Amino acid sequence: MAAPVPSLLRQELERLAESDQRIDGRGRWDRRDVQLEVGILYNAEGSAKVTWGDTVVYAGVKFELRTPWPDRPTQGSLMCGAELRPVAHRKYEPGPPSPQSIELGRVVDRGIRESGCIDMEALCIVPGEKVWGVMIDIHVLSDGGNIFDACGLAAIAALRTAVVPAERFDVGEDHVLAVKGTPVMASFQRVGGRFVYDPCEDEETGGEERIHITLGNEEHLHSLQKGLKGAFTPAEFAEILEVARTHCGELRELVSSMEGN
Amino acid sequence: MGGYGDVKLLNDDGTRLDGRTVDEMRPVEIKAGILPAAQGSAWVKHGLNVAVVAVYGPMEAHPRKIQRQDRAVLDVRYNMAPFSTSDRIRPGFNRRSREISKVTAEALESVVLLERYPRSKIRVEIEILAAEAGTRCVGITAASVALADAGIPMRDMVVGIASGKIQDTVVLDLDKAEDNYGQADLPMGICPNTGELVFLQMDGDLSIEEYNLATEYNYKAAAEIHEIMVAALKARYDGGEA
Repeated sequence: MAAPVPSLLRQELERLAESDQRIDGRGRWDRRDVQLEVGILYNAEGSAKVTWGDTVVYAGVKFELRTPWPDRPTQGSLMCGAELRPVAHRKYEPGPPSPQSIELGRVVDRGIRESGCIDMEALCIVPGEKVWGVMIDIHVLSDGGNIFDACGLAAIAALRTAVVPAERFDVGEDHVLAVKGTPVMASFQRVGGRFVYDPCEDEETGGEERIHITLGNEEHLHSLQKGLKGAFTPAEFAEILEVARTHCGELRELVSSMEGN
Repeated sequence: MGGYGDVKLLNDDGTRLDGRTVDEMRPVEIKAGILPAAQGSAWVKHGLNVAVVAVYGPMEAHPRKIQRQDRAVLDVRYNMAPFSTSDRIRPGFNRRSREISKVTAEALESVVLLERYPRSKIRVEIEILAAEAGTRCVGITAASVALADAGIPMRDMVVGIASGKIQDTVVLDLDKAEDNYGQADLPMGICPNTGELVFLQMDGDLSIEEYNLATEYNYKAAAEIHEIMVAALKARYDGGEA
């Protein structure tokens, strides 16, 4: 449980990388086991729990009625936020949202928003007066590394299984939220000089820059983010993008298998 | 408490709207050790309530001014997830969660052997993921299991349980409608081995006789929940994972 000394951890990660090994025994492009559960929380209109190796996150979807923005009178709104609360790891302190948690929420938000999977026009009830606001809140409960991918998966799974609570707000019948695609994120980190997929906690602690890629159904890019200090080449990016295509496809099928349950 | 007697909460045969008898609690499920990043953790589902607790420490207490030379300090946070309630709640602390955090900490301080860890801090993080009345009690139960799972020595565990009054009838373990439209709520933190109380709140209107009956119901339920808590911890350490 105690955190290893970072410089020793770094040395060990470099030594392992020489023979293309990883600290938890995985191959360079292997993913940890992922379990997905949906519709598990009373009061959330959509919910999902993702257990991704030692990482555990929940996402919940809530709806509210609001007046549309004046410049977009026929569009609803989408908001996605993540909380890195002190429950998730001893390294997280109580207090206002940290830059890390804001980055996490915004990267997940962009992937979903920019994929166009939610039709904002379809969230309009009365133009200029009444639209749905969709809010996805992501709650990280255990940070065992690669919370980005776990949060992205929980968010889209909760969204894809959400029911619009129209009856409770007296604006029609409850109906399934229309979601047209399944954007999925794949994250990579430079560890021991080369990129690996799905970094575990030790690899994040002793690694360098990370890259997050969100791919939509047509394998189009919808969000990219490079985090932390470090530099990479276009050839390195091309290599991880190929790996991302395979993993995003697999995880998209996992989300699809949850629907209709 | 909400309205008085204007909402029907008891069926003609004396059972409650969800079919329970007056002294029957909602189903309780408990798992220990469910969060890999934490030293100790617990998941409790009580009715439709879901609480998850992580325990970290004993660790260095900082800032230094919070240190106690002769004992550890318990740093307890009760927090409701934004999606845990009917209307989304804004993330962050409010007056209610601060008060619950305070009284929960004081309940747990009464049983944890804090003197074993001078100058240190033990963090207890209570996260409510789904709320259906009685979350403070579920949080206390879950916190006790998580502390035990973390190997923190305690004199006893604490079981959180509430009884209340609906339609002039004392009932065990109020659900959401009963809490909203009932006449009284009496949450307690009970030490099942010593029989002591370490947490007590009440609001509404109860006669002394009604208080005594509600207390009796709470003690009966506490013994049942305690068995489930012990079973969860045994499952974790007898057979590996719970």
